[in-house]
Amino acid sequence: MNRIFWSLRRLGALSLSIIETTLWFAGVPLAVVLGVFGIVFAGTSRRSRRYRPGRPFDFTPVWFLSSPELLTGAPTPGHAELTTAQRPALAAASTDWPQADASQEHVTGGASDRW
Amino acid sequence: MTAGESTGRDVLDGPFTTRQLLRIDEALRLADRSTGLTFSVYAGALDEPARESAEKLHAQLADPAASVLIALSPNQRQMEIVTGAEARRRIPDRAAKLAALSMAAAFGGGDLGGGVVQGLAMLADHAGRS
Repeated sequence: MNRIFWSLRRLGALSLSIIETTLWFAGVPLAVVLGVFGIVFAGTSRRSRRYRPGRPFDFTPVWFLSSPELLTGAPTPGHAELTTAQRPALAAASTDWPQADASQEHVTGGASDRW
Repeated sequence: MTAGESTGRDVLDGPFTTRQLLRIDEALRLADRSTGLTFSVYAGALDEPARESAEKLHAQLADPAASVLIALSPNQRQMEIVTGAEARRRIPDRAAKLAALSMAAAFGGGDLGGGVVQGLAMLADHAGRS
């Protein structure tokens, strides 16, 4: 009996106090659980905003083009003025532009849909 | 407002994830290169009436006649495809409606990026090679 006690003692089995036992058997699993929670929420909080139809969805409007220089910031007449100022010889040609655009505006096609 | 003008932060605040942005960028470049038309995607609020609002955006493109604009407003659950005069000859309204139906189905399932990529592919397929 005495020998068994001493062999256990040598292996450290009886040297843990109540506080140490609690720390090892409750604290460590708790730390692991909290760690997993932390990893999970660190991953999702960044993209928690997800579009669900019918629910309000906050985002900044975006407009994509394969090459952004294809977008004119100013409307076309302003663009025509710029070319007129630079090249007076093309003034007559540039006056045709707004008319051409006005006629083109009415022939846009396409489709609409809702969901 | 365009992807080129805004910083990366703004684009990531938009409705698409990084992976979706990459796929949309790829789809846009493929569609532009294969058809010779200019495709563009707008995601954001559209003023009522949405059709006029989308046409105004379309008119701001450099060459509206040869441009196709896909405008979608997730909060209004509404989308518009606007084709210019030249683009309309290659993508008839019926083909645009078919692409719109397919996109609306994806949007209805909450998949904005997938719907846009699919719609671009359908429109580009229909427009054929330049």
